[in-house]
Amino acid sequence: MLKKVLNKNELFLFLIIILLIIILTSFNRSFLTLENWFDMIKNNSGMMILAIGFLVILLSGGIDLSFTSIGIFCAFIATDVLVSKNINNMFLAFAISCGLGILMGAVNAFFISYYKIPPLITTLATYAVYNGGLLVISNNRSFYAAELPLWYKKFGAMNIFTITKPEGDKYGLSIYFLIVISVILFTWFILKYTMLGKGIYAIGGNIESAKRSGFNIVKIQFFIYCYMGFLAGIAAIMETSILQAVVVSGVSVVDLSVIAAVILGGGRLSGGYGKILGTVFGVIILMILNNNLILIGLSSFWNEFVIGFVIIIGVIITSIQTKQKSRGISIIKI
Amino acid sequence: MTIIFILMSALMPKTFFSLYNLQSMAFQISGFGFLVIAQMIAIISGGIDLSIVSIMSVSGISAALIMTKFINESSSSGNVILIVILTILVTLVVSVACGFINGLLIGYVGVPPILATLGTMSLFMGVGVIITGARGIVGFPSGFLKIGTGTVFQIPIPLIILVVMSLLVALILNKTVFGLKLYMLGSNPIASIFTGINNKLMLLGTYMLGGFMTGMSAIILIAQANSAKSGYGSGFLIQSIIAVILGGIDPAGGLGSIAGVIIGILIIQMIQSGFNMMGMNIFWTNIIFGTVLIIVMIINLYLERISFREKKTISK
Repeated sequence: MLKKVLNKNELFLFLIIILLIIILTSFNRSFLTLENWFDMIKNNSGMMILAIGFLVILLSGGIDLSFTSIGIFCAFIATDVLVSKNINNMFLAFAISCGLGILMGAVNAFFISYYKIPPLITTLATYAVYNGGLLVISNNRSFYAAELPLWYKKFGAMNIFTITKPEGDKYGLSIYFLIVISVILFTWFILKYTMLGKGIYAIGGNIESAKRSGFNIVKIQFFIYCYMGFLAGIAAIMETSILQAVVVSGVSVVDLSVIAAVILGGGRLSGGYGKILGTVFGVIILMILNNNLILIGLSSFWNEFVIGFVIIIGVIITSIQTKQKSRGISIIKI
Repeated sequence: MTIIFILMSALMPKTFFSLYNLQSMAFQISGFGFLVIAQMIAIISGGIDLSIVSIMSVSGISAALIMTKFINESSSSGNVILIVILTILVTLVVSVACGFINGLLIGYVGVPPILATLGTMSLFMGVGVIITGARGIVGFPSGFLKIGTGTVFQIPIPLIILVVMSLLVALILNKTVFGLKLYMLGSNPIASIFTGINNKLMLLGTYMLGGFMTGMSAIILIAQANSAKSGYGSGFLIQSIIAVILGGIDPAGGLGSIAGVIIGILIIQMIQSGFNMMGMNIFWTNIIFGTVLIIVMIINLYLERISFREKKTISK
């Protein structure tokens, strides 16, 4: 029975979410309010988008450790351009950020497909290069609220609909939600209904077979790493709007949460496994954990520990699942 | 391969060779060097260890806690020495325990090393943060500080420790059964099972040994800094991987020697110190390291292709 539950990954995750909600609400009733959830959704949209991009890469059997630095880099450049030229255009910011993100992702893809450098090492290197590059170009100067063009604030505050509390405070479902849903649907469509999507799974399964089946490996790899860069660009601008700042020197825990979420959602490092629904659930779990531990009295210092713990649990479960599945197939118990 | 690197390091400017500079470089290398050894062992075994900095952090914090709790101004010097020894032991125990957890996950549960150490990296760092509340712990006895900053005949003590340990590790890798098994495990895990190697035990041992090395690095680093904080050494992770790869270790596992790695460490250290001295913006270091990493990988690829072609013609 336990085996069955463990194998139905998504069901398992959903149960965990319900469990978490029950536990947390019993500690503090304000957890289950619409306001709290709208807030969480808004704050974690960036993470969700990045997780989707990371899932796509993971499906192909690769990995990308550079997306955080790509994100911040793009946000910085976009903001820099806007501020220095005194333009207040939201679309331009997104355009610059995403365009640059695509380019930076392409660099990753280049080294991975032409020089066959393992994605781990490539993205580790580009992470360092982009990070250092950002520090050099920005001269360690961060942008803060006062300097940002006005639309950042407006965008961050835009809601799809707003509810007014009796006391007069307003809150609403952020427009970010729309962006997230679009990304999820778009990616889902690509993965399920296009040759590109099938190619991604194929590469993740066995790159040689995929090549012989006629898939254009290089093109597909360029797509996934550029897509990640593109999504990183989007997420970065969104984050900037929320934080009202572009902080150059910080490396957030977001990247770790993203990886944790995708792994928890059933994504496997070897590639070829993972569903969007699983990733979404994984992000939700991490979203709940990240923001609400304080409700049960754990200070924010516990965050990192909990994330690590979650990664380990998720990874253990995934490994057990892998072993069970291969038990029927291979003679060797590894 | 290593010849290229010797050439590269010879190109460094002559201002390098003052005793003071060599000394300060030697001090800096020592702490870092142990981390690199730990990483090297993990990579040879076919894995990777992303948690070394976190293990170092936690061990260092444990050490600091003990020293500050049990030693005060009025402690007798005999007592102090005892506590210091206890501290060193505890640090090593903590770091080996962390390595044990890693090895357990990787060897017995079968978790891929990247993910396992990604998780433990967060876990251990988190523990450190919880304990210290993100503040540093300061104030160590001067005897302890000597470990990190003292010299014997002008040679820094930590360097001596590092050299001794490296020789020990080289011995283990080249002359013992454990070492041989390690290389075999790294180059082909499935074949090694058929050879009778207990993969699980080997991996456990590998990461515990790595933990030990990390513990040593923790001792040296906190002795040098006279404090222990959870944020230390975050740049070291990438640098350790770069050093290992520079040193000729195949990232897929199973190849490489410690000599190469030492050269790798030296190169990184020289690049860093060189930049410092030339007054270059330190932010460039990350860029340089990343680029160097990629260049080295590309060179590796070409060298492999060349030697492969040679092998092909020979077999004809």
